[in-house]
Parts: sequence; C-alpha cells; structure tokens
Amino acid sequence: MQNLFKGGVHPDEMKELTEDKAVSVMPCPDTVYVSLAQHIGKPAKAVVAAGSEVKMGELIAQADGVISANVYSPVSGVVKGVENRPTPSGKSEHIVIENDKKYTETRLQPLTDPTPEQIIDRITVAGIVGMGGAGFPSGVKMKSNKPVDTFIINAAECEPYITCDARIMTDYTEEFVSGAKLLYKALGLKEVHIGIEDNKMPVVERLNAYLSEKGFSDVVIHVLKTKYPQGAEKQLIYSVTGRKVPLGALPNAVGVVVSNVHSALSTHYAVKEGIPLYKRIMTVTGKGITKPKNIWVSNGTLYNDVIEFCGGIKDGVNVVKLINGGPMMGVAVSGGTIACTKTTSCLLLMTDEEAFTGKPSPCINCAKCASVCPMRLMPMYMDLYSRAGDLDTAVKYGLSNCIECGCCTFICPAKRTLVQSFRLAKKQLRGRK
Amino acid sequence: MSNFTVSSSPHVTQKNNSTRIIMADVLIALAPVVVASVYFFGYHVLINIVACAIGCMGFEMLYGMFVKKAWNKEGFKNSSVWDLSCFVTAVLLALNLPAAMDVWGMNVYSASGKILFSFDTILVCLLGSLVAIVLVKQLFGGIGRNFANPALTARVFLFITFSTAFVASQTIGLGIQASTGATWLSGAKETNGTVLYNLFIGNVGSAAVGETCVIAILLGYIYLSVRRVIDFRVPLMIIGWTAVFALLFDGLIKSSLTGGKLMENMLAHVLSGGLIFGAVFMATDYATSPNTFKGNCIYCFGIALITVLIRVFAAYPEGMSFAVLIMNCFVPLIDRFVYPKPFGYVRPEKSKKVKSEKSAAAKEETK
Repeated sequence: MQNLFKGGVHPDEMKELTEDKAVSVMPCPDTVYVSLAQHIGKPAKAVVAAGSEVKMGELIAQADGVISANVYSPVSGVVKGVENRPTPSGKSEHIVIENDKKYTETRLQPLTDPTPEQIIDRITVAGIVGMGGAGFPSGVKMKSNKPVDTFIINAAECEPYITCDARIMTDYTEEFVSGAKLLYKALGLKEVHIGIEDNKMPVVERLNAYLSEKGFSDVVIHVLKTKYPQGAEKQLIYSVTGRKVPLGALPNAVGVVVSNVHSALSTHYAVKEGIPLYKRIMTVTGKGITKPKNIWVSNGTLYNDVIEFCGGIKDGVNVVKLINGGPMMGVAVSGGTIACTKTTSCLLLMTDEEAFTGKPSPCINCAKCASVCPMRLMPMYMDLYSRAGDLDTAVKYGLSNCIECGCCTFICPAKRTLVQSFRLAKKQLRGRK
Repeated sequence: MSNFTVSSSPHVTQKNNSTRIIMADVLIALAPVVVASVYFFGYHVLINIVACAIGCMGFEMLYGMFVKKAWNKEGFKNSSVWDLSCFVTAVLLALNLPAAMDVWGMNVYSASGKILFSFDTILVCLLGSLVAIVLVKQLFGGIGRNFANPALTARVFLFITFSTAFVASQTIGLGIQASTGATWLSGAKETNGTVLYNLFIGNVGSAAVGETCVIAILLGYIYLSVRRVIDFRVPLMIIGWTAVFALLFDGLIKSSLTGGKLMENMLAHVLSGGLIFGAVFMATDYATSPNTFKGNCIYCFGIALITVLIRVFAAYPEGMSFAVLIMNCFVPLIDRFVYPKPFGYVRPEKSKKVKSEKSAAAKEETK
C-alpha cells in the first residue's frame, strides 16, 4: 500500500511535446554570461579578470563560504569582464566569456574507485547543486549532521511540460544509475530509492530492463501515483518512506536525503570523468516554440540563443509568457536576455491559450484551496489576513509552512493570486525579524 | 524577444473552472426542482422566479453602480451580476416562497376564486430580493463575504413579516390527486404508505414550492456531487443526523409509535419540510458553511439538532431554515478553531522535565 499525501491537483501534463525527443546538444554561443549566483547561498567569487584566458572546465569563480558553489567555464576563450546582469530573481554578477570555438578542455582527475569522502569532496569541488530548481549545494547536503538511513532520487518530475529528468533516465541510463550509486555510497548507505510518477512508465521499464540486465539490486524503483506536487520534497519522502518531515525541518530530520536526477548524472560526470558542472540538460517547450527539444545547454547561454536554436517563436501564436522552470512553480521573465544556470531545468514559452492572464475576482469561500493544499494549510485565510496586513493570523493558518507549490491558485475558481500574496507576506515576515 | 507578461507562479489554472461556471452548475442542478415545482404548483412559480431574478439582478447592479459611482456602460459591464450568483439567490428565494400569496389584496381572481395572477407575490418577491441582495449580501461585502445565506435570510424575513400570507400552497394536481394545503409537519403527523409516497414525489402542500419533490432535489444533488461543486457528504450528514434526532426526540418519546411506525415517522421527518432541499442547496452554500470537513461535521450536526428541536418542541412546524441560519452564525466561530494540522505537524513536546529542573535551580538560587 503506497502512502499518498492528501490534496494535490492534476494539471494538464503537456509532456507529449518533448517526452519522445532524445537529448541533443546545443552548441555554445559566441558569448556566454556565467552567473556567479547559480545556487542558494552566497554568490561565488570570481577568480578570473578581464583579459584572462580560460579553458572549458576551468574554475572561474570560487565558492565563498560553506553554502556556496564553484563555477566553471563552459567554453574556452577570453574573459571580457564581469557584468551585473538580471537573473530570473533579481540581479547578480556574471562573468562574460567570448567563445574562441576551440573548446580546449581541462578536466579534474577522474576517480575510479572513490571513497565516500572523496565523492563528497568531488561533488563540492565540481560545484554540483540541487538541480531541480532550488540549487542547494549538494556537497553540504551530503555532509548531513544527522544520521541518514535512506537516500531518494526525486524522479517524480511532477511539473507539467518538463521532461528533462525522464529523458536523462532514458538516454543516459548508465550514467544516471552510476551517479545514483556514487551518491548513496557517499552517504555510506546500501541502496538508493528512485521515486517516479506512473505517467512515465516507459522510463520505468527502461530502468528496470537496465537494472535486471546488470543485475543491480541496490536500486529500488518506487512507482508513485501521478499527482502534483508528488515531487515536492516532503510529499515525495512521505510517498516513498511513509515518514513525515516535521514542519520547519530538513529531510535529514527523518534520516532521508533527497537528490535530483540531474544531480546524480552530474555526480557521475564529475567523479568518473572529471567533468565539473558547467552544462546541463534542459527542456525547451510550450506551444510557443517551433521545435520543442531536450538539449544540453552550457551555463551562461542566453534564453534568446536557446529559443533561436529551437527554431524561435512559432509563427501565428501569441506568446505571453517566458518561464524559467515549469508552469506551476517557474519564474516568469520579461525577456530573453537572461542566462541559463545550473538550475534552469526548463524554458517554457506559453501562448495566451495555455497561460492564464485573466484578472482575479472576489473569494467565494469555496475552500477548494484548503482541500488541495498538500501541506494541509488554509490558503483562503492566509490570503485574507496577508492582504489585510495581519501576518500573525496568517502564520496561525500556516503561512510560514507554505511550499508555494501553487495548487491553491491552480484550483481557485475566482482565480485569486494566492501564491503571490503568500510570497509577499513571507518577505514581509522575513523583513520584520 | 522581450516584454512578456511577468507574474507570480503558477502560470496555469484549472480550465473550465470559474465562479460563473460554479454558479451555472448550481442553476442547472436547480432546474429539475424548478420543473417539479411548476408541475405541482403551476405557472405562478415561473412568474415568481422571473420576478426574483429581475429583482436580484437589478438590486445588485444598482448597488454596484451606486457604490462605485459608475452610472455608465462600464459599470454595467463590470457589474458583479455576471458571476450569476445573484440568479442562484433569486431561484432559491423563489423556490422558498409559496406559489401565490395574498397580502394586500391586489391579486386577480378567477370566477371560482382561484388566484390567476398575483401582484402581491411579485411585490413580495421584489422585497425579498432587496433583503437578500442588498441587506444580506452586498452590505457585508458581496459574494463570499455574507455571513448568512441571502435567499434563506430573505425567506425568513418574509416568513416572519407576512406570516399570515405564508400559508401552504395547494398542489394543482396534474394527473394525480391534488393534495391539500396542510403539510405533514403541521398536521397530525400520521404516516402510511401513501403519505410517504406523496412526500417523496412532492405531491404535498407546502409554503416553499421547491422543497417538496425529493426526486428532483436528488437529481440536483447527484449533479452537484458529480461536478464536485458541493461536498457530497454534507447533505448526507445532515439527513442522517436528522433521522437520528427525529427518532430520539419525536419517535421514541411517543409511546404510540412502535416498530414499523417508528421508522415511518423517522422517514416522514426526513422527507417532509425543507430538510433535503436545505441540506443540498442551502447548507452547502460556500460562504456560509465551514471550510473544513471537520468543521462541516459540527455544522451538519448542529443543523440537524436545531431542525428537530424546532420541529418537535417549538412553535413552528418546520425549523430547517432557522437551523441553517443559526448555524451560519456559528460558522466563523467553527472556522476559527477547527482547521487541519499542517502536513508534518509535530505536537510540541511538553518540556516538563526542563521546567522542573529550572524551577529546582531557581529554588536553589533563592536558598
């Protein structure tokens, strides 16, 4: 009997746009803009200056402190300088590198039979972060200060449209499984659990075939019911292990570490082949793009270049939103002059028929938001009191426990912008402290 | 490539889901009830519905234009009437009134003394619409902010104001024998197969034309449940608790009722009056019912208890509308205290040990 969290919604999956498209490689553009803040925590410190020559895979920015990550050059060429450029969530320093098209490469020393310490060290050095979107430095997560007995790979990919994790498991099965094994070894465990939604059965079959062919019994696949947000960390842990992560605690409080599919793949490359993290697989999709694709994209590639590589905006459609991430939790950006980072898993061009652009109307108190909230909160009251400025009452109804998954806003018949007011209220709450 | 819309996530919302669609669903669910009440009580019901619709729509639009000072096309276009909720109120109100009333003697009678056209009822409908829309709904902030069900409050207002005119209408008898005006609850409360059958199909006199035909209400209930407009458990809980309380307070205290008669009495309680209509269409009103299932359990329990208490012990034969209104007033209180524990909630451990240690330390210090 599988554990299933209460609440959740079923948005249109829309994965058919890209789920059959094998991963292709996008060539590096002439100029890349590599952000120094591709992760949660302090931005990295640039170790190159204008005029320095860099190789592909060379360290260009050093982690600044513990919660930070190294940044590597995705191309070989000359650094033109450090620019302050917009990111999806603000502004940060970007190292601008002109591509000399020679792709002179430098690698770290590959490790054939690493110890757990070596793996964790390599994950930290290679700048690997949680690649699902949050971008928490993986090395820090692996050095859990609490005992860990379960390691889960989050392959639920519950966001509509996004297919990059599914494609990684299909096209790079060997590398992915190798990376997953390295990660559980680093934690000193015996097996890895992979949580995957049942709308990706071909991927499950592919994995099962590979595992039985190789005789691996240390990889356990959990097929989960398709329901958004199945891939939310706490909900996934509950679905796979039946443990509930206490409010305000990290997964390691119940002895679990969760990692992303792409992080496992990057770990494999970093450890076995010595390639640090400077490129990733992402999905370019939506009804607004001419050729939806799953592609390898170098960090620092501008969205405009990616869109151009995928054939540009489709003729005859009205693209209203460009989204970094999925439609439920992704960040809408105003233009394509933003650079891809380690956490850009999807670039979504939504047309006016897909994206909701209407106006909110008054709350009718239908309580549908409360019935779909996977955290069992009371969104209508949180919204009411947040807007009234009564943050204490909003916190009483669960404001600080909101995971911003967007279920409430999705289901709201009055189309209220609930998540927006929660985000604002949380910022106010942080500012108050 | 720039100037895309920037807004907070999520960027998709559920399709075919809006306030207007929900209200349209309720109107569709009310359609069988309207048909049944026209069938049993005649064309007066249709006139009342039209009068209430015009009244509710007109008052809501005028109120909106008045408070926004928008006496123009924009005010008309942006008026809140287009979410259709005022029409739901209108239909519910019309279905909660007698078919034709005699208040001021402005009715047109036929030679045989039957009411042909009732100006009185139309005026009463308009007055009810004014109370429902302006007094109960808009003054409290419009849709979703009203503390009590507008249609029900208007009905109770009219019922108390024109209590002498609120006599049960007689069914007109199309193909079946017409029932008398007396209702089961106000009568001698005798039960037999025919009484129960008439109560079920709706061939009974009633002061609220919509509440008689159980079949039509059940059709609406199934539609609303399938469309997930209402929580299907709420009407079931109300009806279930009412059956229990009817058995406890009315059946068992009458020594004359035993065995089968006891069950018949219980069933008649459930089938008669506005219980099922109220349970399906009134108690499930979004704004005036609790927002959690646990809250709804308390709410349903209260409605059933108050209904039966009024029916059995109070001066009025029927108590459903009062019960719903009374429980409406408790809803904010229920919602204040009954809400779910968040996912991953841990009961804070009682730090008794730490406290006693601290107090011991404090004691030592004082020594």
